[in-house]
This record gives sequence, C-alpha cells and structure tokens, in this order.
Amino acid sequence: MGSSVPRFPVTCKNLSLDIKGNKTDVVLCSYDDHFLVIATQIGAMGTILHARKEEGVSIEPTFNVSSIFGKRDEPMLLACARQLIEHISTSGSSKSLVLSLGLKDHSVETLRGIVSAVIDNCLW
Amino acid sequence: MASGGSDVDALNQALNSAQIFEGKQQQLLQQPDLNHKGVDAEEENGAGLEITCFSDVFNDVPLHFQILRLPKQIYVWIGCSSAKLGNLYAAAPTRPKDMASVTSILGGTSDNTGTGIARRLVLKTGLNVILASNIPKNSPMLEAEAEKLLVQKLIHLGYTRQKAEQSSSIARGRKPA
Repeated sequence: MGSSVPRFPVTCKNLSLDIKGNKTDVVLCSYDDHFLVIATQIGAMGTILHARKEEGVSIEPTFNVSSIFGKRDEPMLLACARQLIEHISTSGSSKSLVLSLGLKDHSVETLRGIVSAVIDNCLW
Repeated sequence: MASGGSDVDALNQALNSAQIFEGKQQQLLQQPDLNHKGVDAEEENGAGLEITCFSDVFNDVPLHFQILRLPKQIYVWIGCSSAKLGNLYAAAPTRPKDMASVTSILGGTSDNTGTGIARRLVLKTGLNVILASNIPKNSPMLEAEAEKLLVQKLIHLGYTRQKAEQSSSIARGRKPA
C-alpha cells in the first residue's frame, strides 16, 4: 500500500575514548562504496584523507592515500590512513576509505590509539 | 629499574593500549549526557557524538539523510536510492560579509548538484559544513526536495541559527561562529 520507508541503509557506530588524556570521539559509517571514519578531539573534522586500493595485476595490492582537505604535510596522518586501508583490504573489502582526523597532536601514540580503536570497532 | 630499556618500552606500549580500552569501556558505562533536544528516530548516541539518521520518499525515490553535529561543524550525507557516499563538498562561512564559500573535495566535477545545498546550509547554520551527496545530476526537483527535508530536520533539531541572529551578525559585522 503506497511506498513504505525502507530500513536505513547505512550502518553507523559511535564511540568515545580517551587517548593520552584527550577525549576522542570516533564515528564509523559504512556506505555502499566507502567507509567513513571520523576521529575528532577538537570538535571539528579536521583533515580529511582519502585512501583507496588500486586495481592492479600484481599479487600485492597497492594503495593510494592522499589528503583531500586540510593539512597536507603531516605524514603521520597519511600513515594512519594507510594502515586502515590495508586492514580493510586484508579483511576482504575493496571499499575506499574517507578518514577524518581532527586531533590535538599528531604523535605516534595518538595515532596508534586511533588505529586500535577503529580496528576494534571496525565495520568491515 | 636501570637496564632493559627496550623491554620497558615494549611493556609501556602494551600498557598504553590496555589503558585506552579501559578508558573506552568506562566511558560507555558512564554515558555522558551529550544529548541535544530533538531526539529522533534511529539516533545513535551511545557514548559519543549524536548522528541523526532518517529516510523519506519523494516520487517513489527513497531519500536517506544523516546529520552529524560536531561542536564546530556539521557533516551531512544525502543518499538518493543507493547508499553510496557520492560527492564530497566542503563549505564554510567567509568573512567579511555573511557569505559562504564552497568547494568540491571528492568526486564532484563542475556540476552544481551539491554545492548549492552546501552553501545554503552554511548560511542557515553559521557553521562549517561537509556535505556528501549522491543525488544525480539534472534532478532539480529531487535536489530541492532533499534540501527542504534536510532543512526542516535541522530546524527541528535546533541546529540552525535564528533569523534575528543572522541579521544582527550582518549588522555588527561580527565574525560568524
């Protein structure tokens, strides 16, 4: 009878954790062709990075990681995106990743904490 | 503890990871009250930010919306039929006047499908906006309807600023929030 409203097609997960004393809000969403991960300590999305797996003929997949908005000179952010896209790929998904990091510091411990938190709550 | 520096480092790292997880679990139990007014269907508000998700249908086309309110920013996703992320746009208020600038940051070409919506959202909310939209090109009716539904929901949630605030900020030349 008429058109019914379908179930919401995007899965989301919210969490909040403490990394080196900074409250960090993490949001994960799973779209048809992308995963979106937002990790913020500053109340804004900060730098947005895009990571995708390249289609290739070699056995080892290659990945393209770039900053599409915000800081472009922070290699640790790219490394974080690279780790996550590799985890996505080894979990069997070929979706791309949009990663948003609004962090107070870009230290190794912070980014390691973010990567652990995301992997523990991953949607893939 | 004098020697065995690398062992201590490894132990510290392991402990740090453990502490992070403990902190997370405690937060989940405490459930800090970050709720705004206007709780709506399918709202995710476990222990962090709140996402408002809702769907509607227009001319037999399902429209899906996600609104994530951060303290200084709003992220919006508009899905038309599918759940693809679509094109990503960033828009922000621009001084000196009450203007907004918008740019495409992922996927978009020179089409205007999401840019108009993003710009108007900035003007209505006064916040930075990141908009993801997979509305197809050349569907102005769909675009207009999606924007209308979105703005209705934003007003309902209290994320828009009042008209009086808008005009007074123009008059005083005040920096937007």
